[in-house]
Amino acid sequence: MAKPTISTDWLAGCAGCEMSLLDIDERIVKVAELVEIRSTPITDLKEPDLNGVDVGILTGAVNNTTNQEVAHRMRSRCKTLVALGDCAVFGGVVAMRNFFKLDDALRRAYVEAESNDGESKVPSSPELARPVEVRALGEEVKVDVNVPGCPPDADVIFYVLSELAQGRKPVLKGDTLQWQ
Amino acid sequence: MGTKKITIEPVTRIEGHAKVTIHLKEDGDVERAYLHINEFRGFEKFCEGRMYFELPSIMPRICGICPVSHHLASAKTCDQLVGAEPPRPASLLRELMHMGQIVQSHGMHFFELAGPDLLLGFDANPATRNVVGLIQANPALALKAVALRKFGQEIIKTLGGRKVHPSFAVPGGVNKALRPAERDGILAGLKDAMLTTRLGIDLIKDWTTRNRQDVERFAVFPSGYFGLTTPQGSLELYQGECRLVDRQGNLLEQFPASRYLDYIAEHVEDWSYLKFPYYKKMGFPQGAYRVGPLGRLNVADQIDTPEAHAEFKIFKGLNGGRPVEHTLYYHYARLIETLFALERIEILLNDPDILSTDIVNTKKTMQREAVGVIEAPRGTLFHHYRINENGQVEKVNLIVSTGHNNWAMNMAVDSVARTYISGQRVHEGLLNRVEAAVRAYDPCLSCSTHALGQMPILIDIVDSSGTTVETLRRD
Amino acid sequence: MVNLTIDGQEVSVSEGTTVLRAAQAAGITIPTLCDHKHLSPFGGCRMCLVEVEGSRTLQPSCTLPAGNKMVVLTNTPRVREAHTFVLTLLFSERNHFCMYCPVSGGDCELQNAAYGEGMTHWPLEPNWQPYAVDASNPNFVLDNNRCILCRRCIRACGELVGNFTLGVEERGASTLVIADLGIPLGESTCINCGTCVQVCPTGAIIDRASAYMGREKDMTHVLSTCPTCSIGCGIDMVVRDNHLLRVDGVWNAAISEGLLCEQGRFEPLKETRERITTPLVRKDGTLKAATWDEALGAVTERLKPLSGTNGKGAGGIEPIAAMASTRLTAEALHDFEQLFGHKLHAGIVTSTETGTRPAGMAATSPQGSLDALKTSDCVVVVGADLTNQQQVAGFFIKRRLGSDSGGMKLVVIDSGENRLAALAHYALKPIKDGDFELVMGLTAAVVKTRLAKGPAPHSDLSRYTAEATFERTGVTPETLATVAQDIAGAQRPVFVYGSSIAGGETGRMAKALIDLAALTGAQTPPIGALGQANSLAASRYTLDKPFTLQDQQVVFLALGDEKITPALLQKLDSRAELKIRPFLVVQASYVSPVTAMADVVLPVEMWVEQEGHFVNLEGRLLDVRRGLTPPAEVWSNTKALESIAARLGTPLDKEWQEELAL
Repeated sequence: MAKPTISTDWLAGCAGCEMSLLDIDERIVKVAELVEIRSTPITDLKEPDLNGVDVGILTGAVNNTTNQEVAHRMRSRCKTLVALGDCAVFGGVVAMRNFFKLDDALRRAYVEAESNDGESKVPSSPELARPVEVRALGEEVKVDVNVPGCPPDADVIFYVLSELAQGRKPVLKGDTLQWQ
Repeated sequence: MGTKKITIEPVTRIEGHAKVTIHLKEDGDVERAYLHINEFRGFEKFCEGRMYFELPSIMPRICGICPVSHHLASAKTCDQLVGAEPPRPASLLRELMHMGQIVQSHGMHFFELAGPDLLLGFDANPATRNVVGLIQANPALALKAVALRKFGQEIIKTLGGRKVHPSFAVPGGVNKALRPAERDGILAGLKDAMLTTRLGIDLIKDWTTRNRQDVERFAVFPSGYFGLTTPQGSLELYQGECRLVDRQGNLLEQFPASRYLDYIAEHVEDWSYLKFPYYKKMGFPQGAYRVGPLGRLNVADQIDTPEAHAEFKIFKGLNGGRPVEHTLYYHYARLIETLFALERIEILLNDPDILSTDIVNTKKTMQREAVGVIEAPRGTLFHHYRINENGQVEKVNLIVSTGHNNWAMNMAVDSVARTYISGQRVHEGLLNRVEAAVRAYDPCLSCSTHALGQMPILIDIVDSSGTTVETLRRD
Repeated sequence: MVNLTIDGQEVSVSEGTTVLRAAQAAGITIPTLCDHKHLSPFGGCRMCLVEVEGSRTLQPSCTLPAGNKMVVLTNTPRVREAHTFVLTLLFSERNHFCMYCPVSGGDCELQNAAYGEGMTHWPLEPNWQPYAVDASNPNFVLDNNRCILCRRCIRACGELVGNFTLGVEERGASTLVIADLGIPLGESTCINCGTCVQVCPTGAIIDRASAYMGREKDMTHVLSTCPTCSIGCGIDMVVRDNHLLRVDGVWNAAISEGLLCEQGRFEPLKETRERITTPLVRKDGTLKAATWDEALGAVTERLKPLSGTNGKGAGGIEPIAAMASTRLTAEALHDFEQLFGHKLHAGIVTSTETGTRPAGMAATSPQGSLDALKTSDCVVVVGADLTNQQQVAGFFIKRRLGSDSGGMKLVVIDSGENRLAALAHYALKPIKDGDFELVMGLTAAVVKTRLAKGPAPHSDLSRYTAEATFERTGVTPETLATVAQDIAGAQRPVFVYGSSIAGGETGRMAKALIDLAALTGAQTPPIGALGQANSLAASRYTLDKPFTLQDQQVVFLALGDEKITPALLQKLDSRAELKIRPFLVVQASYVSPVTAMADVVLPVEMWVEQEGHFVNLEGRLLDVRRGLTPPAEVWSNTKALESIAARLGTPLDKEWQEELAL
């Protein structure tokens, strides 16, 4: 039987979940044996395969139009979608932006910040994604497995990957269930 | 066919979200290349109203790669808000954690992010040009690299309870003392970490020798340089004064972080969520400068630890005594700093105060505004807070490491694009060189996208009317 | 008794017990959020729903009385589904950012409940409506974003503390916990006791000083006794790496039952004085660091020639004056009394509270019981503003003045300012400092009611007629008669006296109240709401001489961590006018103007470091335990005193309990 394929990508997050993934340390060799790693931010394939992967993992909250596209593309190309980390699961710290008007947040950063020079304006090039209200991944697309944690512990990630690699749905409880 | 635009999205093996667009002239020459930082998060805004003492826990969420830098920069700002100088043991422990962070971040960057380019080659198959490919190609080296990063991460966990987003520094000190067994545990791993770093230094020296042509023409350009040093001008990563030198290495300014607004301003471009800091007196873009390992070694006069200083002398000779302008030497500078961090760890762990429980100063004299600074792995990091009389945040301003390098990354991308994509058919290996130019700066776009975010590659070739005429994929 | 079955287990409880308490008694866990064992049932959060056989709907076990033959199931799929539903709604209502919350990872009951149900995410999205953060209180922060409206804080503020500051502003899902009528806590009637912090199940009310200061697994908890006043509240000293992080009340502590006042809970964390970490000896006019050997040598060199004088020095002046802090342990006070009283026969052997307690009264045993306040139907407080001294006793009174007072009457007699008076049914403010006159007049009036259950006092009450009392105090005969009627008619009257009676009157006032208590058939003697932690022990060791310096040759101050009052400083400053400048030895924890003028400074433990006993105002012996290890060169008070005695060749006996009349 072919090894399960995994693609990952990040939305609005901090890369802490990816770091925690790397914190499985030498066990990454084992993961590499169990699964075939396709596109990820630390590998050079840019997108999940067109003909689909078995497991898609997304970290970060849905924070702008690009995040939305990435989320939908991943959903459409994977069999099991995993929301990894508090941002993907709950919205995370970045969701605190929802307490303010988006324009106020942008103005604070690009117009009002103490260090800005006089010519500052909010970037609006069509090359850039447009920020939207911050949402958990599950509010944007259907999520099959939620793995909370900021970030989830490396042991939890290893457990989740091992279960998925063996075609099982991981169940988080006790020590493996941590939100913070 | 009219002008073409090449898009690289996302840029991979960097931390965060970015894309590159390369605009081509009709003859196929590069008109201009842009690095777009494609995400905005808004930490400056949403921290408003929170308590100042929450910030050392909120701010690390800007970046999971250098959370310790944000954690400590935030705590250092809070030290000043509460008017409580941390006791010496607390400063030592904070620096220890920070050195752990430098080792893990630099180690990871060299071996796991940049390593595939250097060790497998820019033109290797993208499906295996990654850390897993590295493991398969050279498992012994890969495991050493994993162990080096783990060594740094374990220091962070020992002090802060976890490897990513630790809880350790508090206003006026830290919340946990180091136990003797923990110190001994770290000391036991030091030798191997040192050997692996040495191995990395040999690798990069060998690589730059063998690829001299690449090094000499790969994103080499003059700029100013910025970083912290001790008052005597030695390399300093935890605390020190800001130093700015010009392209010749002449000292332009030396100032305390609290006065950063007098010297640094930020420019906003419509096409990036990452702002462009520059030296105020020279204006933008003339006043743009570089930070991070290359910037720091270019501003420093010496390193106060022997092994790192020996390498530093070699580094200083690379450009005839003038600042080293070669983007690819970032990798060498990064490993010299790793060596320095490891030597500092040894010094710190052998300090008689390191096990002291005198770790927090709780005598508070509240202030309303403060600026904290630290050398994050990727460069100088400023946190600037203002609070109300109850301790609630009124204003937050942040200048993050990668931001300082924004102009330089754009210059590097532009320079590489011009060098490698003149009128030729565009192929993947060249595009990866463009990414590698960005990657050399080890941009932490999570950091940058506190106000920003993201890098994945898709190449659109667009004609002058804006119609996509060809799409190149990288999978 | 009621017999019921919970999860198949037979449980027997007394009538009126709720199903929740019955389950807890049987060791069965039912998740709860709004319930708190020291607060009245509220039934607000619905986490504790259980299935009751024969009942169509799930029932909240916290308000459901256990019924005979009731069959209860606490862990069925239906119940668990309800738990998840309740939590889903709670998380959808407010903004819970666990990742940077200081109570996350152990201390948050909401998070723990979610873990208990295996929740990996929030099924409903929060509405992202921001709520106010009130940071105006100096000790804690109220963040309504994390509030689950369990109302524990509100109930604690009213039911336990009797302050009734916290309340809710009812606005459906946007209901807010507010102070008074919606003003910032810092401007409200809040007395900063922090009981709300201690009961909050989430991070909605967090303590400023201890937030982020350590992880639960790195902390140790040391149970001890609060050193602030003579009530002796139980404290839980939360310690990490030899740092005191927080002081919590101990729910199962006798007397205080979890309560603390601001002085006990928050003040210890605000210590800013500089610690003395090595002995100091004055050489060539300046204090210099010395070894204990040198310092003790310098002290005994001065004391030795005086030890044979049996108290009399040149010119009839007794050559030694010694004063000890009433914050020292009973063991240390006993050593002090032994050394300076029995061995050195010093002229003055006293405490920092000289004159606070009525002379001769302290030895009276038993003292009044504080528990009596919790059930009394009439409390008479004389000269004690229990809103700023012995505050927890004030809580016991104030909390019974709400709607559930059970008809308790409060009488406050105070010629000075007393904020308790504003809450009293009868606030009597005698003119011309006539407190004593008024108590005597009241006694006469009680006798006159013919309702008194006890013996009339032997003293002559004939001059305390209602008219004469009016003349002397300004309290009308009508008021006097009404108050006397209530006191005389009370079944469980309690009398409390404090230190704000003009100094010389405390003794006769105490005597008058003992008589009045006896007259009214009070089950407990008057409560002396006086002094610091070990005030009563100091009195029983007869450390009660006036501290008036004349021409003493040696002055020894065992100050411990005592804060230096202007009065004490003034007494010491007067040394300048003395003919002989006495040799000053100060045994202290912190640098102060007093240590600055000393000839020898002996560094000793502060309160968290010392171990031993306090005797509270009731005469109850309470344990003082060590929470922190002192710096290397800091000794215990007993070790310092015993070392001096040993060097003088006069070892001390260790029978510290004998004189305490326990």
